[in-house]
Amino acid sequence: MHRMMVPVIGGLLAAIGGSPPIAAAAKAQATAHAHRVHVIVIDKMQYGPIPAGLRAGDSIEWVNHDIFEHSVTARDGRFDIDLKPGASMRTTAVAGTTAFFCKFHPDMTGMLVVK
Amino acid sequence: MNKTLVALALALGVGFIASAHARQTAAAPALNDAQIAHIAYTAGEIDIAAAKQALKKSRNKDVRAFAEEMARDHAAVNAQALALVRKLGVTPENNPTSESLSKGAADELKKLAALKGSAFDKAYVDNEVAYHRTVNNALSGTLIPSAQNAELKSLLETGLKLFQSHQMHAEHLAQSLK
Repeated sequence: MHRMMVPVIGGLLAAIGGSPPIAAAAKAQATAHAHRVHVIVIDKMQYGPIPAGLRAGDSIEWVNHDIFEHSVTARDGRFDIDLKPGASMRTTAVAGTTAFFCKFHPDMTGMLVVK
Repeated sequence: MNKTLVALALALGVGFIASAHARQTAAAPALNDAQIAHIAYTAGEIDIAAAKQALKKSRNKDVRAFAEEMARDHAAVNAQALALVRKLGVTPENNPTSESLSKGAADELKKLAALKGSAFDKAYVDNEVAYHRTVNNALSGTLIPSAQNAELKSLLETGLKLFQSHQMHAEHLAQSLK
C-alpha cells in the first residue's frame, strides 16, 4: 500500500465507523515504515560501526557484548546510558550530529549523524 | 619509579628502561603461557588492591570514580582469565616476575598508606599512570608476543586495550589534580 494512502484510508474508515483494528494496523504499518531499529554492538573496548541512514525517530539499540561495563554518553548531555556486560538499551535518534563517548573509557568515542 | 614497576620492567626486559641494569636483563628467559597468565592476573590483582586502598582513603569524587573503574574492569579481566585457564586446563604458574610484582606492590601500598588527602590522591594517580604505562609496554613487548594459545593472546590484547584506556584516563586525571 502506498504510504500516502494510509492516513486517507484510516480517515475514511474512522468517518464511516470502520473497524478500529484495521485502522490501527494501518497506522502501525505506517509507523513501522517511518522508524527503524538500528543495532550498535560494543565489544573489545570499542563501539561497532555506526549505521548509515539514521533518521530522526529511529531507535538505536546499544548492545554491550564486552566483558566490561560501558556507557554511551552524549557530549551535549542529550543521553547517558550505562550498560553492564551483556546489557542492551535503546535511545531515540534526534536530528543532528551528536558526539558520544564512554565515560568509563574516554578513548572510546563515536559520532551519530541523524537526518 | 616504584619497586613494582622496576620489578616488572626488569623481569620482562622492557626496552624503555634505559638503564644499564635493564640492558643486562634483555635476555630474560622465555615465558610459557602458564607464567604469562599468572603475571597478567597478578598485575590485575595489584591494581585492584590499589583501587581498594584509594576507595578507603580518598574523598575526591573523580579519584574515587577512577578507582571504582579500575576495580571493576580488572576484576572482569581476571574473571575471564580464570575461566580461560580452567577451560584450557592450565594451572597459572608462579614465577619470579609475579613474586617481584607482588612484593613491590605491597611496598607501594605501604608508602601510599602513610599519605592523606590531596597528597594521597596525587601519589595514587601518578602511580597509576606509571603502572599502566609499564604494564602496557610489558603486554605489547613481551607477554602478547610470547603467548602461544590464541585465546590467551586475544584476552591479553583486550587487556592491552583496557590498560591503554586506563592510562589515558589516569593521565587526564593527573592533569586535573595539578
